[in-house]
Amino acid sequence: MDEIQRVPILAVQNLSRRFPGVLALDNVSFDILAGEVHALVGENGAGKSTLIGILAGVYQPSAGQVLLDQKPAFFPDPLSSQRAGISVIFQEFSLLPHLSVAENVFISREPRHGLTVDWATMNRRTQEILSTLNVEIDPATLVSELAVGQQQLVEIARALSAKTRMIVMDEPTAALNEREAVRLLEIVRSLAAGGVSVLYVSHRLEEVFSIADRITVLRDGRHIVTERRSAITEQRVVSAMVGRELVHSTRPSRTAGAIVLETKDVTVDGGLVRKVSFSLRRGEVLGLAGLMGSGCSELMEGLYGLREITEGSFLIEGRPVRIVNPRSAILTGVGLVPEDRKRQSVFPDLSVAHNLTIGNLPRWFWAFPGLLDLAGERRKTLDYKRQLNIRFTRPEQRISGLSGGNQQKVILARALAGNCRLLLLAEPTRGVDVGAKAEIYALIDRLVQKGIAVILQTSELPELIRLADRCIVFVAGEPRGELCGAEITQEAVMSLATGLSHRVTVDSASLRSVQ
Amino acid sequence: MLLMVGGVFAVLSPRFLTPGNLLNVCTSASVVAIVGLGMTLAIASGNFDLSVGSTAAFAGCVTVSLVQQIGVALAILAGLATGATVGLINGLIVTELGVPAFIATLGMLTIVRGAALIYTGGRDIYLYGQTQYKILSSGLTPVLLALALAIVLWFVLQHTRFGRHILATGSNAMSARRVGVRTSLVLLGVFSIVGAAAALSGLILSAQVLTGNGRLATGLELSAIAVVVLGGTPLTGGQASIAGTLQGSVLVAVINNGLNLLNVSIFYQNVTLGLLLLGAIALEALRTDRRRTKQLTTR
Repeated sequence: MDEIQRVPILAVQNLSRRFPGVLALDNVSFDILAGEVHALVGENGAGKSTLIGILAGVYQPSAGQVLLDQKPAFFPDPLSSQRAGISVIFQEFSLLPHLSVAENVFISREPRHGLTVDWATMNRRTQEILSTLNVEIDPATLVSELAVGQQQLVEIARALSAKTRMIVMDEPTAALNEREAVRLLEIVRSLAAGGVSVLYVSHRLEEVFSIADRITVLRDGRHIVTERRSAITEQRVVSAMVGRELVHSTRPSRTAGAIVLETKDVTVDGGLVRKVSFSLRRGEVLGLAGLMGSGCSELMEGLYGLREITEGSFLIEGRPVRIVNPRSAILTGVGLVPEDRKRQSVFPDLSVAHNLTIGNLPRWFWAFPGLLDLAGERRKTLDYKRQLNIRFTRPEQRISGLSGGNQQKVILARALAGNCRLLLLAEPTRGVDVGAKAEIYALIDRLVQKGIAVILQTSELPELIRLADRCIVFVAGEPRGELCGAEITQEAVMSLATGLSHRVTVDSASLRSVQ
Repeated sequence: MLLMVGGVFAVLSPRFLTPGNLLNVCTSASVVAIVGLGMTLAIASGNFDLSVGSTAAFAGCVTVSLVQQIGVALAILAGLATGATVGLINGLIVTELGVPAFIATLGMLTIVRGAALIYTGGRDIYLYGQTQYKILSSGLTPVLLALALAIVLWFVLQHTRFGRHILATGSNAMSARRVGVRTSLVLLGVFSIVGAAAALSGLILSAQVLTGNGRLATGLELSAIAVVVLGGTPLTGGQASIAGTLQGSVLVAVINNGLNLLNVSIFYQNVTLGLLLLGAIALEALRTDRRRTKQLTTR
């Protein structure tokens, strides 16, 4: 492809956008060529969402302009942006679940016979668009019956039905499994080949490097670099994103102490996970790995009392314990950082301080367990702020205003404040940006060094390799094998997890892949 | 807002600012405030209680019927216990049977109203010459009771573990369970408090007329929810504004009283209350919507 000859379909020039108290976009300029896949990357808070909002007609720029076909364009509302041929697919879909695929594709633009909807034409044209995407979905299916990946394809079909010249995709693979993601990337390529430009917003660099023609990096609202993919390395993109060279850290050597946890033939929920026996020492990280449905999450939930342990025994520091609910888990010294931050760990309406201390509220006076020590709570919060380098302005601030990485640090602090001996970490860095990820790894290292025992469940193999001293691989609810230290490699884990005896080549570093 | 409305009525009706009338306003504000304060807790915990009007009536009837036999103090306690028990049953239906609070308490609304009517046989129970019981509704007693309850509940929310657990449960029950909060116990506590608060306002109402009447306090649940929402407590749970509920109660009482003085029919007063409630909810929706657009999670 010869980029030099292509013309920019859209350009932003000296674009700024100010919100009360923040300059979300600061003098940003770059352009998007016709038929180009242009990746926009940056950490949370870099200004990606604001830029998308301006293109979608949700926000107005405070300064600067958007050029469409080299002429100034104004998008005072979402409709005018759509009319100009820009379709934005937001992270949270805007499909109507109780309507059919065809109705969603043609919503508010239904073909009509006079006053009534021309169903036949609508279904036929939907079918045509879906088949150009190589998708087999019946246009009459209700959207609520589709998988997330298919819903995304319906969003794309809707964009195409409206004679779109440019599609903006905000973290399009965030909700997809690996197979759906691969499919989506193919479709993005074919859209571009057909002349539609795609602005692909993501922080998954692997994806970005596999499809983008050019990459633009934003940081703190400023434009850092726009470069052809062939002319930039992943390393450079990362350092442009975080503003410094990230030291690629490796697992430190650790010395394990006395045994903290021993399980013998543990079976969860009558067979979701069967016959698991292992022991775990102080200062050690045990990884649990497996494909979706392999039972890792269920085992974690069993250890924390969220699922019933129907058979087997469970010893903490040599004493048999029965954990029947989260409360008894906490009382025996087990802490959890749940898998799904938004649903299972954050209290969005409460302050940072309240979120941090909720598991172990400071007492005003030992004899009155019901009364709180608010000054102590504040102190404790500021302590953890310093220790874990959490970024917030006031302990009274609502947690929902923090970035994903900082929220996760608050959740980690919450688990630590419970003085646990055994810490269960489920997907500890999901949805966290690169910089915070490195900090969380360093933090886990520090905890382990202090003698806490950690069980780590993660679908990201590099994370497993970086953190785990040992790793048990699960297949269909049963432990299939154990790997130690340097034996933990992507190939070794994947070949155990997929049940293949020969070595498989892994081009994706994710275990969410094959299902 | 409150001052504005008060000012308008003061100009329109010379009787509005008389001490006697202001005491009336305060008394009716207190009755709604007491239920509203309980409701604030329920809403903060992510729930509702639609049965408060019926509970108030039932508790009023129980107390009035017992005053002659066991004395005023014990009868009052019995009334409050009745309310707390109804609340506990509400709580058990929600936590043990898993029925959404809206449905559970809607069912209890008719059940308890029916129970009150069965208990009184559909007749009024009169209390002659029981001036002691009258103390509950005379002078500043209702106002003091409302203020005391407000202070206690504010303290509970700000300074106790139970209060923190209420907010956590209302904000995200799934997370709350994962940090070891016994959400069922929390909700049982909350519903019992709401029931007892409803009973207290039922007692004040029955003391005003020295009568136990199964039809007392019809529609109280809507005024209670209205004052909570007007006070700025969002219906989504996890937050509570005690001071807001007090202000909301005074606002509603002032408006009703003013319209009364101006001889506006009770039907229009109902319309006004409804419009006020819709306005408050629309305002809240607008606020959250604006917050959302800011984060650009939806279009």
